[in-house]
Amino acid sequence: MSPCGWARRHTSRGAMAVLAWKFPRTRLPVGASALCVVVLCWLYIFPVYRLPNEKEIVQGVLQQGTAWRRNQTAARDFRKQMEDCCDPAHLFAMTKLNSPMGKSMWYDGELLYSFTIDNSTYSLFPQATPFQLPLKKCVVVGNGGILKKSGCGRQIDEANFVMRCNLPPLSSEYTKDVGSKSHLVTANPSIIRQRFQNLLWSRKTFVDNMKIYNHSYIYMPAFSMKTGTEPSLRVYYTLSDVGANQTVLFANPNFLRSIGKFWKNRGIHAKRLSTGLFLVSAALGLCEEVAIYGFWPFSVDMHEQPISHHYYDNVLPFSGFHAMPEEFLQLWYLHKIGALRMQLDPCEDTSLPPPS
Amino acid sequence: MRYADPSANRDLLGNRTLLFIFICAFALVTLLQQILYGRNYIKRGLQFGWQSGDQLANWTGLFNITDDQAVQSGSDSSSRYFEFYEGPFEYNSTRCLELRHEILEVKVLSMVKQSELFDRWKSLQMCKWAMNISEANQFKSTLSRCCNAPAFLFTTQKNTPLGTKLKYEVDTSGIYHINQEIFRMFPKDMPYYRSQFKKCAVVGNGGILKNSRCGREINSADFVFRCNLPPISEKYTMDVGVKTDVVTVNPSIITERFHKLEKWRRPFYRVLQVYENASVLLPAFYNTRNTDVSIRVKYVLDDFESPQAVYYFHPQYLVNVSRYWLSLGVRAKRISTGLILVTAALELCEEVHLFGFWAFPMNPSGLYITHHYYDNVKPRPGFHAMPSEIFNFLHLHSRGILRVHTGTCSCC
Repeated sequence: MSPCGWARRHTSRGAMAVLAWKFPRTRLPVGASALCVVVLCWLYIFPVYRLPNEKEIVQGVLQQGTAWRRNQTAARDFRKQMEDCCDPAHLFAMTKLNSPMGKSMWYDGELLYSFTIDNSTYSLFPQATPFQLPLKKCVVVGNGGILKKSGCGRQIDEANFVMRCNLPPLSSEYTKDVGSKSHLVTANPSIIRQRFQNLLWSRKTFVDNMKIYNHSYIYMPAFSMKTGTEPSLRVYYTLSDVGANQTVLFANPNFLRSIGKFWKNRGIHAKRLSTGLFLVSAALGLCEEVAIYGFWPFSVDMHEQPISHHYYDNVLPFSGFHAMPEEFLQLWYLHKIGALRMQLDPCEDTSLPPPS
Repeated sequence: MRYADPSANRDLLGNRTLLFIFICAFALVTLLQQILYGRNYIKRGLQFGWQSGDQLANWTGLFNITDDQAVQSGSDSSSRYFEFYEGPFEYNSTRCLELRHEILEVKVLSMVKQSELFDRWKSLQMCKWAMNISEANQFKSTLSRCCNAPAFLFTTQKNTPLGTKLKYEVDTSGIYHINQEIFRMFPKDMPYYRSQFKKCAVVGNGGILKNSRCGREINSADFVFRCNLPPISEKYTMDVGVKTDVVTVNPSIITERFHKLEKWRRPFYRVLQVYENASVLLPAFYNTRNTDVSIRVKYVLDDFESPQAVYYFHPQYLVNVSRYWLSLGVRAKRISTGLILVTAALELCEEVHLFGFWAFPMNPSGLYITHHYYDNVKPRPGFHAMPSEIFNFLHLHSRGILRVHTGTCSCC
């Protein structure tokens, strides 16, 4: 009995010794090599590139001037490219046609998260993209500070279809500069979270705030981020509860992803495109004529005067999330070839006081 | 040298040891049960003696009375409930006194068979009920000392000033800081005062209400309490009436049926609209999970510009009430909403009538009934001690403090 116990212990120790001899402690610095891999991956995902300098861009724009001529062929070419890559007419929003029940989709702003369209979500979608295609004259209104005192309100209101970004204020003090019409307004879930407490508590302020966009579509990227889904659906519930005039459309993550890819191929290095560029791309695919207002992501205007970031406030965005200057360069290029019209100058000169 | 077998010592969870542990555990549990229940049994008996005050002045007296009655009615024990069935007896007739004592004689529910209790209750039905003013006043003064509903039933700006750290009822470690936002939701002061209403009806949801035709009698009350958002649609009006002044809503209902009000809110608003101007009463500070949902109810009603008021139970009131009933032998994880409402009603009203409070699987005649008058969904077992609560109501009924309706109504 007892020798047996001894013997067992001896053999186990021997085995340990053999193991230690066969596999000596590794000398390779694991931490350092892991760090190397991480750095390489980082460089692969976020390559180092030179941001175009703000001053250079402004100078360039000034040199080239804002003279512009419509170029039908360029516009048609671009629309063709857009339709080939992204098909905005069908994929612009989540509809019963393009996202049948039980379909699995990937969040476009997340790494490896998917969702399945279930019965309750499916019932929120419209049958098909609810626009009268093709749209004639579209206007995309950015929120740049350059719109302030531009007097472009009347020009904007002349358009058939007005798209706006991120629930901008349209109160009477701004009407002269940004117009009062809107047919499509985007709303980021982050705005719902910050301004309306995720619609978990009182919803009256939200409903009242939406009234200025009478009859427009509220376009929400519900399936871009995982955290954005609930607030976006809640916007739908809120508006349907009170029977509001607005209709909620949910952005199709596949559409957003393909547009992101499209612009990435053209050299926009950003984690995510800005809502404005999404809208301009969609408008270029949906409309015959596109004009854009308030796209000017710089801190000085054409006369080197400092301007605010938005026409309604001066809250700067997180740096390093959007690559606004690059996006501006792309849009400027489209302006130059005549595919769209970018309004940078004031439409009517309102900066000077009227002569007494 | 000889070594002991090392494996023998390592046999920690061998068969013999396990068996030994099991036996020990079993013995321990049995012992504990004996100790707990045994002591409790004694305590409960004593408390009933103390609570019933002058009527049951001393134990010996009580036993003497009952003994006499037993002797009296011993000859016709088989048919003793049926020979006097011509008409309702006066409240103070000896027969009724005797019948009431028969109920009060049952100190704990397990003392008699359920059918025996039902028989006694059924025979009591042929006595007219009348309020025993002195008894009722005494009971109400006990309640006002313990719980004081006219001041502490709801959280008000008066009893919960700004900055109070409100303690939850169950999550004792949980504390809610009353901030400006919440404070503004509270009413200035309690909307009701002591004995404000002449006749109150507390409507439980028991299946006994089905086909009771008590609707008109309930509607004739001055103030009607209802529990847990019960349906009062056309189908049920005949039996449960429509008048509602306070309706409680359990946050778990909101969580399950209305997605915590995080999605659509109009369906919930529609349900509340049925009760017209009834105030909505929520146990917001019962536990931490309830708070958000309950506060949202206030926002919903405000957003839809509803005139209905929203009130929240004061957690301290709930604690006091459950402590009080615990001393009367209601041992449950949580006392039911109905019991809380009855306790509050006893202080706010002169005369309290209970409808639909019957938590047994069969009615007093022995016919099986559904659990609620609108469905037959059984509650989670072991959460509420319903039979014990009902049993207490029967006692209070016999003492003339409140009236429990279990039969069909024929009045008005």
